[in-house]
Amino acid sequence: MKAPFSAYLRRIAPGLKELIGLLRQRYDYVSVLSSDSAGFSVSISQRAKSVTRETMATERGTVVRVCRNGLYAEAAFTGFDPANAAAAFETIAGELDDQLDLLNAAGVKPYETGILPDETRTVFVEMETSRLPEEEDISSLVDRLSAVSDKGMEEGKSKSLNMIDCMVRASSTHICKMFLTEHQDLRQSYVFSEGMCAGLVAGDERTDFAYTSLSGRSGPELFDSMAEKIPEVIRIAKDLVSAERVEPGEYDVITSPEVTGLIAHEAFGHGVEMDMFVKGRALGADYIGKRVGSDLVTMHEGALCAVDVTSYAFDDEGTPAGDVTEIDRGILRGGICDALSALRLGVKPTGNGKRENFAHKVYTRMTNTVFDSGTSTLEEMISSIEKGYLLEGMQSGMEDPKHWGIQCILDRGYEILNGKLTGKVVSPLVMTGYVPDLLGSVSMVSADRQIFGAGGCGKGHKEWVKVADGGPYLKAKVRLG
Amino acid sequence: MADMNNTALHTLLDVLKASEADAWEVTDEEEKGWEFYFIRHSLDQHRTRNLRAFTVKVYRKFDDCLGSAKAKIPSDASAEEMRRTVEGLCSDASYVRNPLYTLNKPAVASVGADTEEIDLKTVSGDFIRTLSSVPETDTEDLNSYEIFVSAIRRRFLNSEGIDVISVFPSSMVEAVVNARRDGHEIELYRMLKSGTCDREQLTRELTEALTYGRDKLIASHTPALGRADVIFSTDPARELYCYFVSRLDTAMVYRGMSDWKIGDAVAPDNLTLQAVRRLPNSSWNTSFDTEGAPLRDLTLIDHGKAASYWGTRQFSQYMKLEDSFDVYNFAVSGGTESAAELRTGDYLEVVEFSDFQVDEITGDIAGEIRLAYLHQGDKVIPVSGGSVSGSMPELAKAMRFSSECHQYNCHLIPAVTRLKDVTITGA
Repeated sequence: MKAPFSAYLRRIAPGLKELIGLLRQRYDYVSVLSSDSAGFSVSISQRAKSVTRETMATERGTVVRVCRNGLYAEAAFTGFDPANAAAAFETIAGELDDQLDLLNAAGVKPYETGILPDETRTVFVEMETSRLPEEEDISSLVDRLSAVSDKGMEEGKSKSLNMIDCMVRASSTHICKMFLTEHQDLRQSYVFSEGMCAGLVAGDERTDFAYTSLSGRSGPELFDSMAEKIPEVIRIAKDLVSAERVEPGEYDVITSPEVTGLIAHEAFGHGVEMDMFVKGRALGADYIGKRVGSDLVTMHEGALCAVDVTSYAFDDEGTPAGDVTEIDRGILRGGICDALSALRLGVKPTGNGKRENFAHKVYTRMTNTVFDSGTSTLEEMISSIEKGYLLEGMQSGMEDPKHWGIQCILDRGYEILNGKLTGKVVSPLVMTGYVPDLLGSVSMVSADRQIFGAGGCGKGHKEWVKVADGGPYLKAKVRLG
Repeated sequence: MADMNNTALHTLLDVLKASEADAWEVTDEEEKGWEFYFIRHSLDQHRTRNLRAFTVKVYRKFDDCLGSAKAKIPSDASAEEMRRTVEGLCSDASYVRNPLYTLNKPAVASVGADTEEIDLKTVSGDFIRTLSSVPETDTEDLNSYEIFVSAIRRRFLNSEGIDVISVFPSSMVEAVVNARRDGHEIELYRMLKSGTCDREQLTRELTEALTYGRDKLIASHTPALGRADVIFSTDPARELYCYFVSRLDTAMVYRGMSDWKIGDAVAPDNLTLQAVRRLPNSSWNTSFDTEGAPLRDLTLIDHGKAASYWGTRQFSQYMKLEDSFDVYNFAVSGGTESAAELRTGDYLEVVEFSDFQVDEITGDIAGEIRLAYLHQGDKVIPVSGGSVSGSMPELAKAMRFSSECHQYNCHLIPAVTRLKDVTITGA
């Protein structure tokens, strides 16, 4: 079935178009993004259950972007009355003028920018889904997830684990967004879902959290396979309770697809967000056309280069979804860019202008960030390592686009000695390094590839949006602590 | 006390009273915000926010079980949309049955309503002028900054009769600092939250960042020290103390994520940690929590021993706590050594991390070093790269902290904290 476009947005569209007309008499450029996204989140554990009709992406509201004399401004609001666009116009114009009075009094000069193009365009996209979150049978879902939690407890106990709890979470969001200007009318509707299954397990001296995730641009049918995650959770839990501390140092490692994705995200995801080029905050601006990795490194970014939680038809500025080759066989080819930054840099936007929600500013943000596959097998990669680790599970990452430092906090390392896994596990791990050194050290790439979209991404320490990332297994050299 | 001339809210309350809900909670939150984005000192763009939404939670009672479900209802929702949403929530609530607990009741003693007058224009002007006058040099300056100023009006009502309102300011500055030397440029990041603009503190924090930027340019690689004493004297130190607070959260304890018991020795025996209702210029100076419980001062750790749990209603009641609440502001005291005394001998003082984290379940600490000062004998060497790691349950035993304190928004913590035998990976 097709995910139906919001009736609410259909209802307010004529009023918003009237508002655009009123604002255009005063401003050189006007656009409106209006969102109406519904969803649910269900959390089940042995000790507490909850259901909410909120997810990270549910929202309803509108943001107006205007430009006059080279200065851009925005007004975000809830509660639009389509029968009284004039009132909204008065409020928006009045408050933005109040801000200008303050700015003029403080002697602030604008960062002058041209006017965004507004070519005639109409898009109406309702993407396929099997089920809708707003129509999901929550009673049945709670029962099924409870059964998964029960099964996790039983399996854990059967493996002699001291299982404190088995937690399962499922959330699904039906995104509806409408982007309007004087000449554009873009509407899209799609559903994405994500889930988590985790075991809380007590060891002799500490308690650990073993988790796995699943995600996709699909409806709640995604959770039908949740029970299949249990064996993986139990395996990770067993590994964590037996884990030792790593001896700090530099090692040959193999990164699992999840860790590969984290490297992609932190290394040349954030590193080539081109709003950072405008501010002179990214070293990547000086490296276009230059080598930043080995010949085996090719990396793509874009809503079109995979199908996962952030594979939309157009971004929050109305730019069509794209697929950018950021690194081609080790050479940095280009970055991703929102529309306003593109205007300032004299390049084309790539469909990466995203907001945390309607109330937040647009920044250049990632969508799907993935390394291309290679030709090796995981077995060949393991057998090539004399002493090192197979790295699995991500906790968090942080970038430094100006200095190309990278920090990844990882869950587990599986020791490899003389080409074989020894069974010894180390946890947790802080992987640090210099991005070109890390990517330059990539010497083998596996033929398979996986994408993960259950996490969120911040810009600095705020502006949380959905992203997905992944890739194949990589063999590289890193520092572990 | 509360604004009764409010059609949408009254409609929602009528819908709730006519529904199958056995109990309910409503938070009516309005935010008026002004935002300003600067590249260098030029205005990138300016923004306004006028937001309002109702957060509704309904409860269904079944013998010795209670089910609940929550949703956000737009302020412009029609009565029919509100009715449909509440009806759906009543169904959802019947599927997730938890052990019985009750909602907060009106406080016997008035907690007083926070209804501060907040002039967005004045506060915004204070921030703009302060940031435009940070003492920059030819080699250290502000790359970009973002100013967020909000007035939050939060009204909470429940079916037990609570109807309280709080209006408070919440502000944030995100700033990126550059430093350059011999053609090489680096940046440091700051996210500074507060109630309104504290000109002196903001200038001090950013001036300090400019100094660190200068030192990062001349930093050498962090050596592989193995184990070393580490001093925390900047914002990441908060994470060490947040770990103690998290471990006493009833939600953590009830769900088995924390095994701390009241009376356990959990911190150095001179450490006392208090939840406090107010801290000067905190962005969380409100009089009640998200479930209408009045906030008050409460000792969580007393001379190193766990003294009180805290938390939201459900898990607190499961742990037999009747008058608990969510903690926003806290203060740490009890340091017996001065900052100068702690800064003696050999140690690594890490002032900038990429992202320092303390795992609240495992207690693992980890962070990449962006700038640290290695003190060895009489030498002080700026270093960068590598990481610190360790385990708080082990490190807390020998943790030392200063008598002098420093406030980071909601948290008043020792100005200097020293951990012994932290693992240091070299750059």
